[in-house]
Amino acid sequence: MTESGFSSSGPPKRPATALAVAGPFDWFGLRARLLPPGEPLEARRRLFFFCLTAPVILYVLACAVWPAVVGLSYSLFRYNLLRPQRTAFVGLENYVALWTDPSTRTAIFNTLAFVAGAVILEFVAGFALALLLWRDRLINRVSLALLLVPVTVTPLATGLIFRALLTPDYGPIGYWARVLGISSERGFLGSPQTALATIVAMDVWQWTPLMMLILLAGLKSIPSSFLEAAEVDGATAWQRFTTIIVPVMTPTILLALLLRVIDASMVFDTIYVTTNGGPGDATNVLMIRAVKEGLEFFNIGTASAISALMLALVAVMASVFFVLINRYDRKAAP
Amino acid sequence: MKMLRYRRTAWIALSTVALLGFQAAGAAAADITLNIASMNDPFGAAMAKLADRAKKDTGVGIKVDIMNYGELMTKTTADFIGHTAGYDIITMDNVLSGQYATGGHVIALDALIKRDKDEIKPDDIYPVVMNSLGNYKGVQIAMPFSGYANVLVYRKDLFDAAGLAAPATMEELQADAEKLTDRKKGQYGWVANGQKGPAVAQDWMQYNAELGGSILDKDGKPAINSPSNIKSLTVYKALFDKAAPPGAVDYDWGGREESFRQGISATMQTWSVGASSYGDPDKSKIVGKFAVVKAPPGQGAPQQYGIGGWGLSINGDITKDRQEAAWKVIKWLTSAEIQKELAKLGGGGYIRKSSIKDAELNAMFPFLPVIGESFEKGNGDFRPRVPEYPEIQDILGSAVNAVLAGNSDPKAALDDAQSRALAVFKE
Repeated sequence: MTESGFSSSGPPKRPATALAVAGPFDWFGLRARLLPPGEPLEARRRLFFFCLTAPVILYVLACAVWPAVVGLSYSLFRYNLLRPQRTAFVGLENYVALWTDPSTRTAIFNTLAFVAGAVILEFVAGFALALLLWRDRLINRVSLALLLVPVTVTPLATGLIFRALLTPDYGPIGYWARVLGISSERGFLGSPQTALATIVAMDVWQWTPLMMLILLAGLKSIPSSFLEAAEVDGATAWQRFTTIIVPVMTPTILLALLLRVIDASMVFDTIYVTTNGGPGDATNVLMIRAVKEGLEFFNIGTASAISALMLALVAVMASVFFVLINRYDRKAAP
Repeated sequence: MKMLRYRRTAWIALSTVALLGFQAAGAAAADITLNIASMNDPFGAAMAKLADRAKKDTGVGIKVDIMNYGELMTKTTADFIGHTAGYDIITMDNVLSGQYATGGHVIALDALIKRDKDEIKPDDIYPVVMNSLGNYKGVQIAMPFSGYANVLVYRKDLFDAAGLAAPATMEELQADAEKLTDRKKGQYGWVANGQKGPAVAQDWMQYNAELGGSILDKDGKPAINSPSNIKSLTVYKALFDKAAPPGAVDYDWGGREESFRQGISATMQTWSVGASSYGDPDKSKIVGKFAVVKAPPGQGAPQQYGIGGWGLSINGDITKDRQEAAWKVIKWLTSAEIQKELAKLGGGGYIRKSSIKDAELNAMFPFLPVIGESFEKGNGDFRPRVPEYPEIQDILGSAVNAVLAGNSDPKAALDDAQSRALAVFKE
């Protein structure tokens, strides 16, 4: 690389002098001190970009990293807002108490089962709907608009609507399901065997359209020439799907799955208004437990430990997706 | 000469600032508007409707912030912990007396009540209400504001048709409920909360007390797995299995009330605050078909009736002049005259004997004598008013729901609840 700022390969770069020259915006000589003219151009460029991103870094540190660190530190204390005089450092006691509590172990299992069930079903149904609505026709555009309605309903309202529909005593669905023997006497939400599956079904109703929308955007970005060429070569619909559509859409698929996994891990509203974690522990998930500990008992130590546990679970799941995306990128690179 | 002129100018400026300051302070004292954190029970809306009158009668403005239970707890606790003095008056659920008293966030009202006893007329307030809606271990941390009695509401038409009288004991209630259940017709004899959490815990504690059970022992320690508690949970489970609508295991207060108003269930124990809604043709299908009586105790169990409701507390972080203004408003809100106004506006809570005996109110709400009799033999501690109450309620809410859902039997569930409660108390 030369001082003029042009390297032998790659995109042209701005001359270093543009950054190093002191002028009316020298800010009391600070810029000249940070960027002495003798420094290599690349170092000065890095510093310049660092300065540009510094506000964002500071924002993330203040709004995400710092609260997470404080939360982690709280999880090592016995700390109740209503009984602050009893605050004491207890190390990993909160985590041990959670692990030895059968109710928390059930909550972890339920959270994972809910995420797996809901996201898989939403992905399959969302992909199928996206393929159905792929072609740009009027009926598809109208269907797309109608299918997006559930996404606009708040989860709390969704829970209340389904609760009214599924009540076995007078709900339009629940009553007939009970009479016809499709559900148990206590209804879909009142039976421990079907409660979690019902919550999954409610989530699928609400969030499949979002999955469909993301996947549809991915489908629309596939160049039509790829598919036309394959068709001319005699590829069947299934071959076009497996050899062109899925590989091209892999990053979009992974992104959609990642978004839904993170969101589904935090399920709360619908469960809170329908079953409040019951019957028994059938729909008890980590978020219900965390909110109860934090906002009902003001037990900040335990609530922070549950939050840290959730953070770890989500981080593990997100890492898997990032590894897969990176592997795909490396494979796709020329 | 120049120096003298500067000094004179400075004096004039200082005097002006001081004068303006005094004027502003005077205006502020006269123009106090208090922020009231209110639960969204019927009294919240009724209180808000009286805001203009409060200003006219007391000279103090009120702004009523009506919230659901969770929001009220979160906002007021954040206000206490952060010492932000955002709320001046706080409506306090009587089961939180222990928390409020030990937290030290509200002021004791004993001296003020003693000072203004002629104005307050404490003798007109039911003693059980005075005690359970604001007194904790001898200290009055809230003034009783809206008292509720646990009552039995039943379908008079169905009872009459079956030749039954209103049940006087829990055993009679159980037998009548089973008799009036006809699953083929979609008619059930009884309904109660079954949903996990506070809903099922609070309803079961009511039945538990009526059957002679108690959550704490005489020393104030958990006694959740006592034989009488196990027996009462067995009765509760039997009522659910034999006489409740199938969906009741998932009912909270809304579901339970709706089940009674829609005519699905023949009997229900409930807070007296909701009694007026059963006669509202816009909401109810049983207008003119129901009656309200005292909650039936178990045979041989002490005749006592569950009392609940709300008191008014003053935030300890607000300034002295605001505390004095808050006390003025509390005296006004709990006065006989305003209590009657609140009742007429649908507030639904009572604390004064004069309100219960008022002819105009009795004409509007004929069940008032039942509330009065329940207050005379009331028990405001069937839900233990200890600082650990929220955790105890949650533990019971899980245990009882597990029994109703068939995941556990009464003894195993209450044994587990007892060990959890002991751990909370140990903490």
